[in-house]
Amino acid sequence: MKFDLVVIGAGPAGISAAIKARKNGAHVLIVDENPVAGGKLLGQLYEVPDKGWWIGQRIAEKLVDQATSIGVQFLQETEAWGIFPGWKVVLENSETIDTSYVLIATGAAEKALPIPGWTKPGVIAIGAAQVLTNYHRVKPGKRVAIIGVDPLSLSIAQELQLAGVEVVGIYLPPINPFSQEKADPHYLLTNLAKMSHLAPNQLLKTAGKMLHNPFVKKLAAKWYPANGLKIGNIPLYLRKRVMEIGGETEVDHIRVAPINRNGGTVLDDSIPVEVDCVCLSGGLYPLSELAGSVGCKMVTIKELGGTIPLYSPEMETTQSGLFVAGNITGIEGAKVAMAQGNLAATAISSRLGLLENPSSALEQAISEVEKERKNAILTFMPQVEEGREKVTTMWKTT
Amino acid sequence: MRIADHPILGKQRKREVTITFNGTSYTALEGESIAAALLANNIRTLRYSEIAKSPRALYCGIGHCFECRVTVDGVRSKRACITTVKDGMFISSQGVDSP
Amino acid sequence: MNDMIICRCEDVTLGELISHIENGSQTVKSLKLQTRAGMGICQGRTCRVLVEQVMTYYADESNIISSSVGTNFPIRPIRLAELAQNGKGDP
Ligand SMILES: Cc1cc2nc3c(=O)[nH]c(=O)nc-3n(C[C@H](O)[C@H](O)[C@H](O)COP(=O)(O)OP(=O)(O)OC[C@H]3O[C@@H](n4cnc5c(N)ncnc54)[C@H](O)[C@@H]3O)c2cc1C
Ligand code: FES
Ligand code: FES
Repeated sequence: MKFDLVVIGAGPAGISAAIKARKNGAHVLIVDENPVAGGKLLGQLYEVPDKGWWIGQRIAEKLVDQATSIGVQFLQETEAWGIFPGWKVVLENSETIDTSYVLIATGAAEKALPIPGWTKPGVIAIGAAQVLTNYHRVKPGKRVAIIGVDPLSLSIAQELQLAGVEVVGIYLPPINPFSQEKADPHYLLTNLAKMSHLAPNQLLKTAGKMLHNPFVKKLAAKWYPANGLKIGNIPLYLRKRVMEIGGETEVDHIRVAPINRNGGTVLDDSIPVEVDCVCLSGGLYPLSELAGSVGCKMVTIKELGGTIPLYSPEMETTQSGLFVAGNITGIEGAKVAMAQGNLAATAISSRLGLLENPSSALEQAISEVEKERKNAILTFMPQVEEGREKVTTMWKTT
Repeated sequence: MRIADHPILGKQRKREVTITFNGTSYTALEGESIAAALLANNIRTLRYSEIAKSPRALYCGIGHCFECRVTVDGVRSKRACITTVKDGMFISSQGVDSP
Repeated sequence: MNDMIICRCEDVTLGELISHIENGSQTVKSLKLQTRAGMGICQGRTCRVLVEQVMTYYADESNIISSSVGTNFPIRPIRLAELAQNGKGDP
């Protein structure tokens, strides 16, 4: 049997696309490696100003119910291993699926933030803490330290606290070849301010307000209190670095060194802080290896978080018939991913001849992506709009 | 380690199942991952690395890193973070002599 | 810091990577082949970026020949080897 569309990845982008294409009459299959569909939605939980709680798990359930009820087929616990011209999607069990169009919606992965001791049990990526706490409802630890300051770590710190986990603090990583701007207090202050204008929670809002004040911003790197600022109940330490994660077999402490007024790390004054879990937040990058392997032209755009397949205004890659949507095209929130999925599915439906008025449908889908981007309450990349413009320009010259 | 009553998400009602890890039985909740179930039972170390033999555990939590790989009912290298528990499941650590 | 593990799958430390660079490894590819960093079961999802960062940081930049970004099919060849081991018990 041949499908009209195979979607790889059952995150918000993939499921939204599948629903749209199916509604238009296409035969759609979604392949996803997880036991449960929903992608990164499953762990998300935050308060949207004036709109109540965004409970990712419930949103995912609704999307999946809707998709299933109209006949979208799901193939869970199955990894897509490769895509071949024609198009054929090869699965992990070597089975091959024929399809007219492919949508790659594999989402994002976390960048590693290595620190001495980071392989010890109890050290996890911040996203793991989110899934454990909000989806599985198991505390990642009793006393947790977070290393890496970004919108995601600030948001998840709040989520942990909400669930009754003690967060001892949010710290900077040591200066090393891997931490780069993550280790620079000034960079963090300036960029947090840009990213938290419509913050999803009190924590981000407080940080945002503080940093929007130009007076504070200018002096903050120098005069930021050595003992941190409490945001909610969580100390945000922009003048303390975690130099090492310690413990005989599993994590039992971190070694914290102060940063002096000149920006230097004072190793002699470092002290151990007892914790049983450490969350590392190194930021997100688009998971684009599948697109790369099938020969799509790949471009590295820092503003979007890394290397992405170059795509057209209709979300098509340089391989005709291969589309992309969601975080594989750059790091943004779930609502943008959904709108991108819609857009890609509209374009695919139009190719399949399923639309009566394709150009107006496409126009509307494009404007919805832009609307969601403008209204986003959580911005991961401070210059995402510039990044998107770069893509448009590069596409035109290809 | 379980969050029995979450202020926003509320209470969680799930059927209990029994799993075995390295020869010991533990209670898990239907639908959760092996890694979550073991952590709820205060178990972090899932395996030992092949070369350095250092203890390893859940890291990315979403199936990317393979750090959580365990042998499940005889099948090697199943990712504990995205493999759902089943009643009677038999799990063992890799990188150590089989218990 | 040199004994910090960079490739978690293959237990490759920062020190090992640096010493291979000092001994003439000029591309990320040769670094990978010599140390196996990035060739483990996760296929570099965790460490690929880190290995590239080590290369840029420690090598004389003019010597680096950039490698292609593309991943070759299959994405996870190692899994086949792993699967073949099933039922054989632990090594
Ligand atoms: C740790 C983390 C936390 C985040 N938290 C938030 C947040 O709180 N709020 C927010 O708005 N955004 C958050 N994001 C951003 C998030 O990526 C977007 O919100 C949104 O989920 C992106 O949707 P997507 O459909 O592109 O990808 P995803 O939601 O990531 O879904 C992609 C799916 O594809 C699967 N997949 C990947 N490769 C394959 C393959 N080869 N074969 C089969 N399946 C595959 C993945 O396992 C996943 O299920 C977070 C991202 C991460 C990584
Ligand atoms: S913790 Fe990374 S794959 Fe399971
Ligand atoms: S961490 Fe290096 S290959 Fe997996």
